[in-house]
Amino acid sequence: MSRYRLKTIASAAIYAVVAALLATAAGAQDYPSKPITLIVPWPAGGSTDISMRAIADSASKVLGQPIVIDNKAGGGGTVGPATMAAAAKPDGYTIAQLPITVFRLPLMQEVSWDPAKDFTYIIHLTGYTFGVTTSAESQFKSWKDVVEFAKANPGKVTYATPGTGTSLHIGMEQIAAMSGIKLTQVPFKGGAETNAAVLGQHTMLQADSTGWRPLVDAGKLRLLMVWTGARSPNYPDVPTLKELGYPMVYDSPFGIAGPKGMDPKIVAKLHDAFKKAVEDPAVIATLAKYDMVPNYKNTEDYKKFVVEVTESERKIIDTLGLAKK
Amino acid sequence: MDTLANVAHGFGVALTGINLLYCFIGVFIGTLVGVLPGIGPISAMSLLLPVTLSGTPESGIIMMAGIYYGSMYGGSTTSILVNIPGEAASVVTCIDGHQMAKQGRAGPALGISAFGSFIAGTFALVALMLVAPRLAGIAIAFGPAEYFSLMVLGLVVLTFLTQGSMPKALLMACIGVVLGLIGLDSITAQPRLTFGRMELIDGIGLVPVVMGLFGVAEVLLNTEQAIKRDIINAKITQLLPNKADWQASAGPVARGTLLGFLLGILPGGGAVVASFASYALEKRLSKTPERFGHGAIEGVAGPESANNAAAGGAFIPLMTLGIPPNVVMALLLGAFVIHGLQPGPLLIAQNPGLFWGIVASMYIGNVMLLILNLPMIGMWVQLLKLPYSILFPLIILFTILGVYCSSNNVFDVYVMIAFGIIGYFMRKLGYEPAPLVLAFVLGPMLENNLRKSLILSQGDLWTFVQRPISAACLALALVLLIAPLLPTLRKKRELVALDEGA
Repeated sequence: MSRYRLKTIASAAIYAVVAALLATAAGAQDYPSKPITLIVPWPAGGSTDISMRAIADSASKVLGQPIVIDNKAGGGGTVGPATMAAAAKPDGYTIAQLPITVFRLPLMQEVSWDPAKDFTYIIHLTGYTFGVTTSAESQFKSWKDVVEFAKANPGKVTYATPGTGTSLHIGMEQIAAMSGIKLTQVPFKGGAETNAAVLGQHTMLQADSTGWRPLVDAGKLRLLMVWTGARSPNYPDVPTLKELGYPMVYDSPFGIAGPKGMDPKIVAKLHDAFKKAVEDPAVIATLAKYDMVPNYKNTEDYKKFVVEVTESERKIIDTLGLAKK
Repeated sequence: MDTLANVAHGFGVALTGINLLYCFIGVFIGTLVGVLPGIGPISAMSLLLPVTLSGTPESGIIMMAGIYYGSMYGGSTTSILVNIPGEAASVVTCIDGHQMAKQGRAGPALGISAFGSFIAGTFALVALMLVAPRLAGIAIAFGPAEYFSLMVLGLVVLTFLTQGSMPKALLMACIGVVLGLIGLDSITAQPRLTFGRMELIDGIGLVPVVMGLFGVAEVLLNTEQAIKRDIINAKITQLLPNKADWQASAGPVARGTLLGFLLGILPGGGAVVASFASYALEKRLSKTPERFGHGAIEGVAGPESANNAAAGGAFIPLMTLGIPPNVVMALLLGAFVIHGLQPGPLLIAQNPGLFWGIVASMYIGNVMLLILNLPMIGMWVQLLKLPYSILFPLIILFTILGVYCSSNNVFDVYVMIAFGIIGYFMRKLGYEPAPLVLAFVLGPMLENNLRKSLILSQGDLWTFVQRPISAACLALALVLLIAPLLPTLRKKRELVALDEGA
């Protein structure tokens, strides 16, 4: 009797295990069976938002399910990923664009997430072209004018960024430190807002990715510098940081990730779909509108990259005196 | 005469068969998502964005725009019939719209909001064509200091919405602001008021709060008064507004349209502020302000025109500067870019066919909406004849579905139920939910802009007074706050806020 019972329990346990295995296998097999939410931690309409929409649209064709963009802006692009890390299930139906601030902000202040533990990294996608603009009606004709004015009026020069701790904020502070000037940062939530701020001359400068392009093309904004390695083919007259005497290149590369503990099979499916997306000529064309180029890294390389970038950021933050106490 | 030639060209584009079809699909889906609580134009448009890629850019954008203004038409339906606002901009419509429905005047309420929307929408289009480039300046004249003062003015104005006492309304507004602060701080990403709960990191959603305070609380309150229910069944004879309704509504529609159009240009809560500013304005101007809150048709006509005109005004910063004033416009911007177009100062010059085609399609869409919505009024009114034993469970079912669909999160359903119970007691004790909800929307914008202006001014509070637009907003807010205290004006105020205790 007891033997029989033992057998029943044993077989029940085996059934349970097999059933569980089948269930997870089926979960990964069927994935995706409903729309996927992609958190974009910037306001809708900025360069990240629009390029991610193009990428998501192309990837959704590969996956056979729509990808819904959820704009959760704030905190320099960390509010979205932090919310995901805290609240979303690792089922592959909630993923987020991961800007570099997710690695940088924990070095500067107490935060609710740990970039080494709280995410499942999926794929590295692309980076930005950054630039500093001013209103066409402004007194600043070149970067030299800004430096001269700032030397005479410390702290009076204000610049709009898409958030504290973004590459734009860190980059501007590095530039200021090297020139021996003091600038005042005003954190907005993203490109749509910084465009309006500099256009209405609420801030003197705007430091942001290429969402300013149509306004620069229309002559409403003046582009003072770009932060890429070489001059932009679209603006051959605008100097790079290096040419202005600041030996730096800023492109803030980014990728996508999910909450920790995602099934590797689902990660692989998402990776493959997004890899196809950044190879799609339509996506490349949309990226080019913002002077962006694909910068593909697979899941493993992305993980390594996160470790490297965290270390190099730590050094910069320490030198600028912005590290958390 | 350039404009006329352009308009003719635009109609040429918009009247092609395929574009008419896309326009119709757009406004039809828009009406549908506007009527269904919880599902807003944002989710519908992001789901349908890929569909538009197969056609020409004109067709795609015509359809997306149709969903947007279509949902503005549909949004008032549930506000009037069952006291559940479809989105923040139709919260005020509930106040008098639902009262009208209770008095058997759901038809005229729905009718006037359809006609008001049509008139406002058409006016906004004419203005969009004639003055769009010149008005673009308004959108960028507002910096952080101006937004802060506008939000202060908005919060003061909204306390005029209630028919209860002003202290109670101010208290509700304060609670709304605090509720809006829950979650990660928008400047430094620090969690606030989350009490260590993961579910609160993202803040409380607008949809569960609105559905709870309005929808669930209304049902709870009504089950208590079920005996008096025959009022609604009494007389539903009149389906369209009569001559007296039109006379009462003409002024509110005109003023609401103008107000909505101007505020709609502002990035941020333009449409929301416009709707309740219009309500407060009509109440101030009315010879019989005591009727407001008890089914005054002006209280429906004004705000409904305002939020539709705001929908038109919102196109201006997008088309002329490439700056989307709200999430829906940003989705449209996305549609433009994916089709290889870049909205900005050069769009109208480089793609006249596209710009004028879209504007012309919106005229056609507005006519379609009117034709689509008027015959449906009869059907909606029939809905109210359902016995309460069937209608109430249905309302509860749809609010739960709507809340769950908007976030896929059971926690939000609990939030809705909690706010339903809170809303019930608020109603019992004479506290109005409208100031709470509107403050909940405006509060985070108020805080964010206050902090940005202080960074810009390096901590100098005078910045709010030195800037003319900001100073004007603050002065107006001050006058509105002080006016009730002055003896000469007190009489008027007592009429405006017909306090149950006064």
